[in-house]
Amino acid sequence: MARWIPDEPGEEAALLQALGISSTDELFTDVPKRARIGRMGVGPAKTEREVVAEVDRILGRNRTLSEFSSFLGGRVSSRYSPAAVDAIVSRSEFYTAYTPYQAEASQGVLRVLFEFQSLWVEMTGLDVANASLYDGASAAGEALLFARRLHEGERFLVPESLPWEERSVLENYASGPGLRVEGIPYDDRTGRLDLEFVRNAVAKKDVFGLLADVPNGFGHIDEGIPELKSILGDVPLVVAADPLSLSVLEAPGAYGADVVVAEGQGFGISPSFGGPLLGLFACRREHARSAPGRIVGATLDTEGRRAFCLTLTTREQHIRRSRATSNICTNDSLMALAFVVYASVVGPRGLARLQASLAEKARTLASALGSVEGLRAPRFDAPYLADFTVEVARGTADEFLDRLRRRKVLGGHSLRNPRPGAVQGPERVLVGVGESTTEKDIAKYASAATAALAAVGRSA
Amino acid sequence: MTFRQARWEEPSIWDLAPTRTKDTVPEVPGVPEKFRRKEPIHWPELSELEVIRHYTRLSQMNFGIDTATYPLGSCTMKYNPKVTELLARRPGAADVHPYQPEETVQGSLEVLWRLERILARITGLPEISLQPAAGAHGEYSALLMVRAYFRDQGTLGERTEVLLPDTAHGTNPASAAMAGFTTKEIPDKDGSVDLDALRGALSKKTACFMLTNPNTAGLFESGILEIAETVHDAGAMLYYDGANLNAIMGITHPGRMGFDVAHLNLHKTFSTPHGGGGPGAGVLAAGEKLGPYLPVPRVVKEGRKFRLDYDRPKSIGKIKLAYGNFGLDLRAFAYILSHGEEGLEHVSRRAVLNSNYTASRLGKFLPRPFRTLVKHEFVLSGAPLKERGVRTLDLAKRLLDEGVHAPTVYFPSIVEESLMVELPETESKRTLDEYVAAFERAISDTPEHLHAAPHNLSVTRVDEVRAAREPLLSWKDLRAASAKAETP
Repeated sequence: MARWIPDEPGEEAALLQALGISSTDELFTDVPKRARIGRMGVGPAKTEREVVAEVDRILGRNRTLSEFSSFLGGRVSSRYSPAAVDAIVSRSEFYTAYTPYQAEASQGVLRVLFEFQSLWVEMTGLDVANASLYDGASAAGEALLFARRLHEGERFLVPESLPWEERSVLENYASGPGLRVEGIPYDDRTGRLDLEFVRNAVAKKDVFGLLADVPNGFGHIDEGIPELKSILGDVPLVVAADPLSLSVLEAPGAYGADVVVAEGQGFGISPSFGGPLLGLFACRREHARSAPGRIVGATLDTEGRRAFCLTLTTREQHIRRSRATSNICTNDSLMALAFVVYASVVGPRGLARLQASLAEKARTLASALGSVEGLRAPRFDAPYLADFTVEVARGTADEFLDRLRRRKVLGGHSLRNPRPGAVQGPERVLVGVGESTTEKDIAKYASAATAALAAVGRSA
Repeated sequence: MTFRQARWEEPSIWDLAPTRTKDTVPEVPGVPEKFRRKEPIHWPELSELEVIRHYTRLSQMNFGIDTATYPLGSCTMKYNPKVTELLARRPGAADVHPYQPEETVQGSLEVLWRLERILARITGLPEISLQPAAGAHGEYSALLMVRAYFRDQGTLGERTEVLLPDTAHGTNPASAAMAGFTTKEIPDKDGSVDLDALRGALSKKTACFMLTNPNTAGLFESGILEIAETVHDAGAMLYYDGANLNAIMGITHPGRMGFDVAHLNLHKTFSTPHGGGGPGAGVLAAGEKLGPYLPVPRVVKEGRKFRLDYDRPKSIGKIKLAYGNFGLDLRAFAYILSHGEEGLEHVSRRAVLNSNYTASRLGKFLPRPFRTLVKHEFVLSGAPLKERGVRTLDLAKRLLDEGVHAPTVYFPSIVEESLMVELPETESKRTLDEYVAAFERAISDTPEHLHAAPHNLSVTRVDEVRAAREPLLSWKDLRAASAKAETP
């Protein structure tokens, strides 16, 4: 695509002439012959029109969420994003900028990030937020390493109900320094964490942190979580919170969380097959210098005007190198912009009303599915907001979901770990509702589920 | 013509309207009383128009590639083609959930699979994973793979050390440390790896040598084949930091140079936007030995069907949710299709031409510490400025007044008062000449003006020392500070 590389007639010739050379070959004499390659095999260039046609043809093989009655929930949401969010995210002053190293030229991005940090501080009840991380799972990984900087020990406790993907990410983050991730059993009726197990583990003095998710991997709210900090004492408590839930739920800082991480994608970011997402991180003031990632601070310019810049940079890789608190360089600034614009457009009341309406709808769904023979819905006797877990008593979860799909229902996602040889629990499905979920969708799910399970009954 | 950035007297968002902390939080069915939020989130209620104006004004106080030349070394600030933005917003790309059944996401999987195959050819390394979210995330994942490999070899207990040149990006040692390795820096000789020093440092303890080529001094490591041989003779792995791939497409690739594993930054070489700091995409490319350790799932093609494959027993597992930053993968895919084979090689040749041209012209103002044949970026030393009582930082700030972004400054640290300049292939000769003229005006200015710069931006010189000494990190801190100021 020549238009993206300037090619005014004579332009390259003039550049070559200024260097006293006749061909760009002379610029690569430092690459040894034995290291040279022939053709890569990438194929010929296409015009913009051809590229659009080609990509549209490929994307045409996708079925979008709007073609289904979708009940996919969990950490990646398909909530509606007001057009105002993308209008701001599409401002190329924002999206074509780099990390704001030159503060004076970058007050726009710096102020956005400062507002983002401020919002996450208000939502979590903690003191210091960073300017974003990659996603909720890697933010939890950073929280694990952060907790280890605050407290001795080698075991990090997480709920057994944590989705397998997040557990796997945590195990990777733990593996470098030789730390262990250990599951906390849960009560089979309520899904609540076994606090006795936590008490005994902490008594052994080798636990350096505990992560609890709200809602948990089953979509439920564990009423025991506010008691955790009194058991943990000075062992750091990491809470992984759903941001929308914080519009109606107590700020985790108020019940003793030392760190709050989150997946922020549901705030104005499209699902886009899972990326980019948004990682959030907040901690207490006294631990700010151990925090990972970029942090924006307020200061003044030489004329005494309020100004902003990246700060506490001595924590970071470009200064501290191998002794940095994290290797984070690129983060998710643009997604942080989407998050704060979404929250500001919807507003605190709007967020709470949205969460309340989803909770109502989820109840309607639960009662509809609860009356389907062969399903236990909700599986756990515990509070929930927009998501909850269903257990499939007949056949496998995958089989069940596949039959639903053929009836244009995306009935949630299976909680099983797809890696061969992984230890599997019962056949469970996480289901969730969104703004687009209608009573008709719910009725469709219930009847499709009835038919699907009847079919399993026949084939069994 | 004098440059002027917008200077809005724009309040912070919370100063646009009072917050309504007295409002009640709606009752939500099922939420236990002890879990109920007592006050609504402390944030203003604003009209959509107020929000739009606020963030539009903030955007106008920011440099982006679309508003200014952006010669930030090692960051490859090339034009982000508009058509790729258009495609990433198609419902077929954006309105697709990662947990949809495979049958319904064949298009997304095809994009990933085809992009992987193309990147395998560009890197010369056959096995690709698009999962990492950024370059540093890719480095970290690769080092976890190296760990897993040596664990399987039974030598992880010995191989505890990662070597890197003193010109390495800061993320390299930071990633190595996170992955549980100790690090040791190899000194350079005239800006390139000192092969004898490397030989001396390699041992049974070495797990990996991390290198970017061309390196951060802008030089191609011409001894790369000897480096690879030496590293492999010691039984260690050779890691390619792909931040500087923009210089070598179609000329050479990590596979041919002898690297075992690499990361690429789609947000550099393949033009996906940097977003004010992210998101990025840090593709992993691996050869035979490390390929089996790549994160799961891998995308496979069976007949005409694409599938996510989790059956990789040696895989390190997951390093983030889902399958990577699909929105960026799609942009990079469209970018590569647009350029094709010749186009990508032209990208590198023109980037290197732009760099050498600008280096030769700026070399008249400041010394170039190493040999003059450079790749896509080059380094100058601002040390002579000190005679006039001026620092590189002052020059950087003065350049902003010209309406151009500053180069990367004080990196690489092997050069005193360094400036690192990268003007990618999307910049015309006219722009390069304007940049040189702006540089000349800036460096010829009086020390007083240089110290006082910048003048033409939304703020004057920002006090970064104060920011670190008295941290004010959120609105909550600002409230506390002003409450304290009001108490007698």
